[in-house]
Amino acid sequence: MKFLIKFSLISLIFLFLIFGISFSQGITLHMLMEDVPETHIIKELLPDFEKKTGIKVEFETILYSDMHPKLVPQLMSPQSQYDVLEVDNYWAGEFPAAGWLEPLDDYVKRSNFSISVYIPSSLEMTGYYKGKLYMIPMYNYAMALIYRKDIMNDSKVRAKYKEIKKKELALPKTLDEYVELAKFMKKYVGIDGSAMQAQRGDPIVMEWTNYLYALGGNYYDKNWKATINDWRGIKATQLYIDCLKNAAPLGALSFNLDDAFRVMSQGKAFSYITYWWMLPQLEDPKKSTVAGKVDIAPIPGKGGLNGGWGWAIPKNLPKERKEAAWKFIEWVESFEIAKKRALMGGAPTRYDVFKDPEVLKKYPYYTTVMQIIEKARPVPEFQYSAEMIEIVGRELSLAATGKKDIKGALNDAAKELNDLAVKAGLRK
Amino acid sequence: MIFWKKALRGRFFSPEKKISYLERAEKRAGFFFLLPSLFVLVIVIAIPLLFSLIVSFFNYTFMEPGFSKFTAFKNYIKTFSDPYFWNSLWVTFKFVFLVVSIEFSIGFLVALMLNRNIAFKNVYYTILTIPMVMSPIAVALFWKMMLHPNLGIINFILEKIGLSPIDWLGEETNAFWTVLFVDIWQQVSFMILMLLAGLVSLPQDIYEAAEIDGTSELQKFLYITLPLMKPVIFAAITLRIIFAFRTFDLVYVLTRGGPGVATDVLSYYIYRQTFMGLDLGKASAGSYILLSIIMFLIIVIFKTIFQKETSSK
Repeated sequence: MKFLIKFSLISLIFLFLIFGISFSQGITLHMLMEDVPETHIIKELLPDFEKKTGIKVEFETILYSDMHPKLVPQLMSPQSQYDVLEVDNYWAGEFPAAGWLEPLDDYVKRSNFSISVYIPSSLEMTGYYKGKLYMIPMYNYAMALIYRKDIMNDSKVRAKYKEIKKKELALPKTLDEYVELAKFMKKYVGIDGSAMQAQRGDPIVMEWTNYLYALGGNYYDKNWKATINDWRGIKATQLYIDCLKNAAPLGALSFNLDDAFRVMSQGKAFSYITYWWMLPQLEDPKKSTVAGKVDIAPIPGKGGLNGGWGWAIPKNLPKERKEAAWKFIEWVESFEIAKKRALMGGAPTRYDVFKDPEVLKKYPYYTTVMQIIEKARPVPEFQYSAEMIEIVGRELSLAATGKKDIKGALNDAAKELNDLAVKAGLRK
Repeated sequence: MIFWKKALRGRFFSPEKKISYLERAEKRAGFFFLLPSLFVLVIVIAIPLLFSLIVSFFNYTFMEPGFSKFTAFKNYIKTFSDPYFWNSLWVTFKFVFLVVSIEFSIGFLVALMLNRNIAFKNVYYTILTIPMVMSPIAVALFWKMMLHPNLGIINFILEKIGLSPIDWLGEETNAFWTVLFVDIWQQVSFMILMLLAGLVSLPQDIYEAAEIDGTSELQKFLYITLPLMKPVIFAAITLRIIFAFRTFDLVYVLTRGGPGVATDVLSYYIYRQTFMGLDLGKASAGSYILLSIIMFLIIVIFKTIFQKETSSK
């Protein structure tokens, strides 16, 4: 009897503890976030959301490369541990196609959330999938050309350029001109012309896609037939490898984003094709020795690569959690918070933030950035975007090391890309 | 398989030997003590293994998870007809062979040196265990910093002493050897400590007897140390082979399998099938091929140990 009383008392205490903890906390939203400045900015603003709604938010911050492997099992399970997702545009085709995301059209309508404020290219990329709204653009990382304006304006460099090239030094308007300029810098100025990121996998593909798009090329045509091996693809690859061999730093074939950033931020390269938000990083004297000496321009040619993230809600969540998740998205994407994020160094996606006088005063180059985003195109979004990038990355790396000739590598890539389109049910 | 049966029969089910009630009771009790861990093993090892074996015969993808499309051996055929699979297999074999043999040579040499009466032994032990307890990702990251061709300390030193900088990871042959070197740097202490443990536990009286007989150091090593160390050597090599086949983190951080396909080891190939290709069926087939290769190698090595033991008796 004594034992029974003891046992029930202890059980009661435990029960109270468990319920007490879960009740006192209310809803806590869990999110898997990439370890980038934007995440830390939002984290700083979270107390405002908690104060307004009483909903707590917990971020699990990890590296980009670990996100997809962590998200997929969660999305396939009966209930996701994560309540709000940040979806990279690589997965913007895969997640909705697999049926993992909650359509947001109703939420938007119900709460009068305006989506017309977003730059259309962003909304197309990380918003709609097959006509339905699954994501709200969160963040943009279109690629641009960042260059050293001090070198461009250096009278000695200008004189040397005129002597060799018989024309005035100016910002390149075409891809050919850019590669020529980068090669000139390496040969005559003694600085690496382009801090390239040609590591196999997504680094080389991200950079090379700018070359492809600059020439007006594409991965697929409208009917999902691979066009990566047409004359534009071949020319883009020729120029890319030429630049890699004659204008890039030693070891660029193993560089990812960070390795290339280190070269550029240490003042060892003239230019850098990279995400536009790298500019504030390079302008930060704590992180870079070239602060005040860099400027941004669109990718020379017909536009560069667009990239971005979108907010989404997983489908495998109970209703009240979905509602809480939407409250968070509404808050974080409201004009007030979006502007605050931008002023703290975030990457806006809304026109009204880009055009806000206060934001423009702090970041005058945002007018250029807005134009870059408007013209940029993403990689094709479908179930197998990640595998497509892997295939193209492998073949480009093989071509860059000389293991395959350019045409052969692109033909092999095209063949596998066609198979992928068939596998995804996009063509027969 | 016959080998296993023989070994099992010899050890557990010898019909000739009659066992007493007490012995049987003891065995039964032992079995009950084992039950909890057996249960855990079944849940965390046997069930996932069986599940992935079944998956490897189906068209099971992340897009359409389910067992509706039975494909028999199609996943295996697809894997075998992929030239990049064969490349990965070749790279992996090359890597495992080189890494294990180099680590063994260095490891044995250092273990022999540490087995003598030298000063500051504890300091060496501590230094040796540090790389082993570090996470491979951390090891790869800091080596990547040091090997950065323009800003890394290694090329900086090379340039200071008048040599030209080396492209450690951006050139195919260099990249392969660099990954190999980093792996050796981290894992060689495992070999050293394992072999050292073996050396320390060797009976000293044989050496004393040999010294009285006037054997040379080389003779002692060849005729006493080596034969006595055989089981430890085999165990160390087997374990290293298993670990080396699974090398993933270093490749993932340092090269992503590149440049080209120079460091594209099999575990990274399987990772890509899973998380990029979203094709769990094909990835499971690849895993099972890797598992069979490792199993085959272990059986061959085990067999060698047992044969040596019986022949020496």
